[in-house]
Amino acid sequence: METPVEVIPTRVASGFVDDLSETCKMGSPNGRAMHNSDDEVPLDSEMNFHLSESGLVDAHGSRPGESWTAHRETFWCNICRSIQVVVFSNKLNLLMPFGPLAILVQKFTGHLGWVFGLSLLGIMPLAERLGYATEQLAFYTGDTVGGLLNATFGNATELIISIYALKNGMTRVVQLSLLGSILSNMLLVLGCAFLCGGIVFNKKEQVFNKASASVNSGLLLMAVMGILFPAVLHYTHTEVHVGKSELSLSRFSSCIMLVAYAAYLFFQLKSQRNLYVSVNEEEGQNGNNSNDDESPNISKWESIIWLSVMTAWISILSEYLVGAIEGASSAWEIPVAFISVILLPLVGNAAEHASAIMFAMKDKLDISLGVAIGSSTQISMFVIPFCVVIGWIMGHPMDLNFQLFETAALFLTVIVVTFMLQEGTANYFKGLMLILCYLIVAASFYVHMDSSQ
Amino acid sequence: MGSVEEKIGPHHFPDEDDHTPFHSSSPSASISKVHTFNFETSVVDFRRSSIFNVTRMSRSVYVVLIKAKINMLLPFGPLAILLHYLTGHHGWVFFFTLLGITPLAERLGYATEQLAFYTGPTVGGLLNATFGNATEMIISIYALKSDMIRVVQQSLLGSILSNMLLVLGCAFFTGGLAHYKKVQVFDKAAAVVNSGLLLMAVMGTLFPAVLYFTHSELHQGKSVLSLSRFSSCVMLVAYASYLFFQLRSQQNVYSPVDEEGDNGQNSDEEEEIELTQWEAIIWLAILTAWVSVLSGYLVDAIQGASDSLNMSVAFISVILLPIVGNAAEHASAIMFAMKDKLDITIGVAIGSSTQISMFVIPFCVVVGWCMGKEMDLNFQLFETATLFITVLVVAFMMQEGTSNYFKGLMLILCYLIVAASFFVHVDPKSESNLHCYHLSIS
Repeated sequence: METPVEVIPTRVASGFVDDLSETCKMGSPNGRAMHNSDDEVPLDSEMNFHLSESGLVDAHGSRPGESWTAHRETFWCNICRSIQVVVFSNKLNLLMPFGPLAILVQKFTGHLGWVFGLSLLGIMPLAERLGYATEQLAFYTGDTVGGLLNATFGNATELIISIYALKNGMTRVVQLSLLGSILSNMLLVLGCAFLCGGIVFNKKEQVFNKASASVNSGLLLMAVMGILFPAVLHYTHTEVHVGKSELSLSRFSSCIMLVAYAAYLFFQLKSQRNLYVSVNEEEGQNGNNSNDDESPNISKWESIIWLSVMTAWISILSEYLVGAIEGASSAWEIPVAFISVILLPLVGNAAEHASAIMFAMKDKLDISLGVAIGSSTQISMFVIPFCVVIGWIMGHPMDLNFQLFETAALFLTVIVVTFMLQEGTANYFKGLMLILCYLIVAASFYVHMDSSQ
Repeated sequence: MGSVEEKIGPHHFPDEDDHTPFHSSSPSASISKVHTFNFETSVVDFRRSSIFNVTRMSRSVYVVLIKAKINMLLPFGPLAILLHYLTGHHGWVFFFTLLGITPLAERLGYATEQLAFYTGPTVGGLLNATFGNATEMIISIYALKSDMIRVVQQSLLGSILSNMLLVLGCAFFTGGLAHYKKVQVFDKAAAVVNSGLLLMAVMGTLFPAVLYFTHSELHQGKSVLSLSRFSSCVMLVAYASYLFFQLRSQQNVYSPVDEEGDNGQNSDEEEEIELTQWEAIIWLAILTAWVSVLSGYLVDAIQGASDSLNMSVAFISVILLPIVGNAAEHASAIMFAMKDKLDITIGVAIGSSTQISMFVIPFCVVVGWCMGKEMDLNFQLFETATLFITVLVVAFMMQEGTSNYFKGLMLILCYLIVAASFFVHVDPKSESNLHCYHLSIS
């Protein structure tokens, strides 16, 4: 996930901070030069060489033998600057106070509707910052591990929310929220991207790489197959051991899907690098092309620390979020299915949404597609099977039987999107169609009562 | 009158024979009527003469009613009405009305196309998009008024299936036979957009059906209806933007497809203007009224025909009724395929399916909403599954951009399978509907 939008304010901020204190010189010019040569070793070694318990120290400036007082100033300086860069530079972070506010509301009033809404708003900026920190870290680790990092943390928010819901035994919420995330990525995010891109580039048809789109479509169809068979098995009442077959089938299929996903990562990162470079790159690296003032803004350790801070923060808020779902459903009088499928995914996908639209408007449809469809593939082939396995370990009967209605919705959506993408071009009408399809899906879930609740 | 004679003259040229006996381009109007301006002088001549001139009127009647060979079927219409009042034998009434409406549907398309000459590409395209399936719409609205909701759903479904499988299949088959040596190609982009729209329509139809059959509605009985109404509005918006998209933004890319029947702006000759603007409008109104009258008798005779012909109402609605509205499209699609103008064929066949699924069906739901009838998008599981599979099959067939006689044959055989399924299909819902109807009128 990346948001080059913030590059400009960050630079201003860094200039400002530089003015503030000369001892806090950023190593970014060096960092950028190092990074663009796509060679992470010198950067690492430099940083490692100068690393104290704090972060970035100017390669030219300070000497290892500096006095302890100066170190301390540098330390605090770096922390301030780091906070400045990570927390204050992005406008989305205005929503951050909603997080603690949600916790307060929970403690004092217990009005679950408000808690749910506020924690939703509070998690959004955190999800985005998590993506930012991942992307920053990916600068230091190089392409391969960077891609891997992104593949894992790209949907960290959904993963965390799902694990919390699983712990509370809300397996249906897990299934529905992951399904909703897939639907939202495939229809809403992609549709908005195509629509905005098509409107901006009204004269011509935008093109994207058909090969990677078709690989992703194939994976999505495989995921649908993995989900469809347990559901059909259940509904034709043809299980060998009633009640248990479906669960074992789900667990077996999940392992297979995880293997498939690992193979897909391997395939993408090692063998077909040239072919997929443009698709792979976005997820944090914003391509090595015109967009490139993506230099690391924070040091490696800082990004790791921020990664853990964000993850912890998201976990806390997720707990309140998940706890408030049922209450919100009764307070707002909408079905839990609708909340899980439509509202929850808005949280995890807000940042992807914005970045996909932005890339489409810059005529970089491959990256938009990578963000949207790649995220769907990731959730369907990694997060869902992973949750089944975690449920297995925790002893919860989480399976791949998403019930008939949801499975049919997923199947139909995957087919529609596959057809749309098959041609390799995009225009605003296709985007509008996808968005309207999403409206139909959302409306269906609004009147859908989930029988297993 | 000299100018009129000259106008009629060109009709006897041999190369006009293709579309004169059966004015092929029925549900169509050309989007880019460049050659409209060539006839300006003749148009001016037309306009000079008064509408009430007897010669003109008889000329007009000749052109519209007598010239096309299909109009031999015209007398069956009044004959059906006579039968209805004299014998009340529903089987015959139904059959004759079917035969009587067929030429009217074709003439309606002809009048629309003539009118489109005067209105220019944009409004012409719009006219065509609306009146292209006017017959189906009129029959459906009559059926809605008679509370035969199931008949509406099934006849519209049947029209989609017939267009996608039978019409397209026959076109591919005959075109493939005629152009045996080579593989015919068509514009993939338009086919893909249409496939996408058809899939979206399937989605709109599938969700209410699945909602109903998994018994997972929030408000039992009411959710499906509200979802259908919402989805219909969404689908109408999608269709409107599709029209906008086709007519404004992508004119260059999609023009070969738009020519549904207008025989392209190329080697194929002139779509003559044979009527003046007012004549076209008047004939449009007359034909529409005539179709409405006959539709009323047709719809009333369905149940009786089902009993006397010993076929299920489902079969009549899905297979027999659409033959009426689609006969003209059928002929024109085949003719264009044989002339190796597959883009126009696809435009006629698939465009008509798209129009029905994204415009006529949601429009009927909305009209039902206004009338207070409970028309929804829940087409019952069997029909929805059929539609879904058909759309998938056709989308896959068209995805490649080429056609040959074998693909055509496959599509026709698929249609035979579908028809056979409906022949042995008992529709639980429609039986109860019609019994209620008969109870209410007796």
